Parts: sequence; C-alpha cells; structure tokens
Amino acid sequence: MKRIVVTGMGCISALGPDRREFTRRLLNGESGIGPITSFDPGDSLVRIAAEVKDYDGSVLFPEKQLSQLDRFAQFALVATREAVTDAGLDFKGSLSGRTAVVHGTGVGGQGTQEAGYHRMFALNEKRIHPFTVPKLMPSAGTSWISMEFGITGPAFATTSACASSGHAIGMAMLILRTGMADVAVTGGSEACVTMGTIKAWERLRVMAKDTCRPFCRTRGGMVIGEGAGTLVLETLEHAQARGAKIYAELAGFGMSADAHNLIQPLADGAARAMRAALDDAGLSPDAVDYINAHGTATAQNDPTETEAIHAVFGRHAKKLAVSSTKSMHGHTLGASSALEAIASIVGLNEQTAPPTANFREPDPQCDLDYVPNTARPMPINAALSNSFAFGGLNTSLLFRRY
Amino acid sequence: MSEEINNVILDVLAKHTQIDREKVNLETRLNSIGVDSLMMVEIIFDLEERFDISIPDPEFVGQQNKQFETVADVVRVVKDLIEQQTAS
Repeated sequence: MKRIVVTGMGCISALGPDRREFTRRLLNGESGIGPITSFDPGDSLVRIAAEVKDYDGSVLFPEKQLSQLDRFAQFALVATREAVTDAGLDFKGSLSGRTAVVHGTGVGGQGTQEAGYHRMFALNEKRIHPFTVPKLMPSAGTSWISMEFGITGPAFATTSACASSGHAIGMAMLILRTGMADVAVTGGSEACVTMGTIKAWERLRVMAKDTCRPFCRTRGGMVIGEGAGTLVLETLEHAQARGAKIYAELAGFGMSADAHNLIQPLADGAARAMRAALDDAGLSPDAVDYINAHGTATAQNDPTETEAIHAVFGRHAKKLAVSSTKSMHGHTLGASSALEAIASIVGLNEQTAPPTANFREPDPQCDLDYVPNTARPMPINAALSNSFAFGGLNTSLLFRRY
Repeated sequence: MSEEINNVILDVLAKHTQIDREKVNLETRLNSIGVDSLMMVEIIFDLEERFDISIPDPEFVGQQNKQFETVADVVRVVKDLIEQQTAS
C-alpha cells in the first residue's frame, strides 16, 4: 500500500493569521478566546468566541472576487495559500490533473445566508444578493481552491459537522492510496461566529460563559471558533521524487458511526474510530504517545472520550499525553480536525505535547494526563487526532514521525 | 396564579415525557419519568417561551442534573423568575 505523507501546512485561526503564530501560541498555552467583537451579541448568553482577529479580506482579495467569497471560503484560500507555498508545489502541467482537492466545512456560507435572510425578513427588501447561492454552498471553498491553483483532478467537499475536515483528510488519503492522484490539498474551513449561529447554540445549553476548560471539573461547555487549516498530502514516492520536506506520515485513518443519538456521544463509537485508525496504520496502542482529543469541554464529551480512550488503550492510557487544543483555538466545527491535525504534527515535529489551556482542577470522571496549561517536551513518535461530530460521525487520524 | 403555573409546568412535562399528567406531582423525580439532559433542554425552552422568562444555565455543567431533581425544583425556579420579573 502506498504511504502518504504531509508536505505542506497552513492555517488561520484565533491564534493568528498563519501557522507560525498558531504554533508559537499553541506551545505557549495562550488562548485565543475572548469577548465577541465582530458584532454585538445583544442579550445573548453566549458572549465569547475564538474569532480570527484583525482580519481584512480586502487586503488579500481583489474587490471583484470578494463579492463572491464568503468568509469561510476566504479562510480556506488563506490557509491553502500558505500550505501550497510551504509545500513548494506548482500545479502547472500534468500535476494539475493528478492533484485532488477535498476541503470540508460544517456549515458553509453562514454569514452569507444570514445577510440574505436579514434583508428579506427583517428589512423587507425585494432582492437579495445575486451571488448568495454560490457563496453559501459548502463546496465553495473547494471550488475556490481548485480555481486559484488550477487544480483539475478529483475535487469535492465533505460535511459531517465537527468531523468534516477529518473526513476530508481521510478521503484525500484514500484517493492517494488508490492511485487516483499523487497530491491532495485537504483540510477544512468554518466562519460561523455569527448572531444566528450563537443564538442557535445558546439554547442547546452546552456553551461556556467564561472560557473553554476541557476535562476540568469546573468546565462550562464549548466555545465556538472560526478559521481554516489546510494540509498538502502526497504519496511518499511523489514527495521523495521531488525532494520535498516531509513533516509527518499520515499512517492511519479510522472512521465510525455511533448509530445512537443526534447530540449525545457514545464511547463505543469513539473507541471504534480510534481502533480503526490503529489497525489501518498497523500500530499497537502502546505505539501512540500523544492524543489530540476532541475535548469540547461539554459535560457529555469529556468523560465519554476519556472512557473511550481507556477502552482502546487499556493500561497504556495512563501513559498517554492527552490534550484538547480547543482550549486555545476554540471549537472551529468543520475546520477543527484540520487545525488539530496541524497541532498534532507540531507536537511530532517539536517533540512537545501542546497543553490543555485554562485548566483549573481535575474532574474525577476524567482521569487521564491532560497536559494542563503548560506544553510538555517529550518523545512523540505517533499522535492520534480525534473528532467526534454531532450525530455520531467519528474520525481518528494517526500521524507518525517520518 | 400559583396553581396555574403548576398546571402549565405539569402540562409541559407530560407533553415531553408522554406520561399521564395524573401520575406526575411535585415530588416526582424527573429521572423517574425519563427526563434526561437533552429532554431537559427542550423542556426549559418551552417553559421560557410559555412564561417569557430566561432560565439561567447552572454554573457548572457537572451539576446540570442537580439543578432540577424533582418537579418541585422546576416549579421553584420558574416561580422565582416570574416574581423577579414582576418586581422589576
């Protein structure tokens, strides 16, 4: 079977406009969560988010293009520009058709959707913007990536709520393994810090008031974030032939469905995704050193994920470093698996487990080593990155040092 | 007024749990009639709409189920909120 490696990475998030800032703040344990600034949350109970700060799309995109670009598609392009430049690839010639784009999103053009509804239902305007449809479609990010870079191979978007980009990265890997393409541009994007989104989340009563404290006894729930992450994947032979620098091997991918509940997670489904990733890579559980947890900091997720890790790793579970970097970049829904894949690869490359920030006191129900507040230098040869979506759609990505 | 509030709360609980209203009283424990945390989220939403109140989240999610253990707990919180609203 073909081996798949990561040769480029880019991101934009609450931790900063690029991967460099993301890495620096991630390893410093700095949180990008703060009061919502992009609009007035009114009387909402949800008043905090992990927003992309000081972002000005007009500096990055020509005006004519901007009218067709929802914020989520802009983020997808920003992250991908960085990843492609990083990989040193040029898609001219035959590589164009031998490259795939698979970019996920949980919601798509939420801001565009809300602006249209506002004009129609609140302002009683007769018309909404002519590009509403092409801007809001969840596949717009993938289309824009293919257009900007001239990539003409297999291209589609994935959507599975909070595992959208986990499925994207997994599908990209499978496309490369089968030989349908040599290079894949993959990841996910989300721009859902909007009034409509936070009002919708508010009533589920799973949202934190102060900040995101995963695995902590005094955790108050999740914090919505926005951003995008892109990975360039290549077959090992293609990467070696062009002398590319290799960040890590994507050694295994596992997915599963809980078949249980639209909202409540199930430990068994999570465990099956992790086991599938280990089996796919042909690794035993004790080969894993670090887990980038789904770790949303809701009442339900954290003990359920802890239980699933115990089930899969047995006695090795207590030796694992497990952290949730959502404590820093927030829960970016469809972008989260991509950002957390990058966080996991940073862990491998820096030989340092990123911390769980904002950690105060342990929860008796969550009894693993969550790397509280301070990054930990340690040997990391393999890292697992979990995403467990609403509706019980799970992915687990296994990266190995190359 | 007080009786009316009780009745609305019992109606809402009976609707969501699909349990005969006569079988539910103030002492009834919510988990004994099948109210889980997800159902509670919908019940709270209905009560907020019916009484035009805003029921705050418990401070820590770990204590979510302790906020409302019995029907009487729900009645007490709703009545307090209605009173506060009338006072202000």
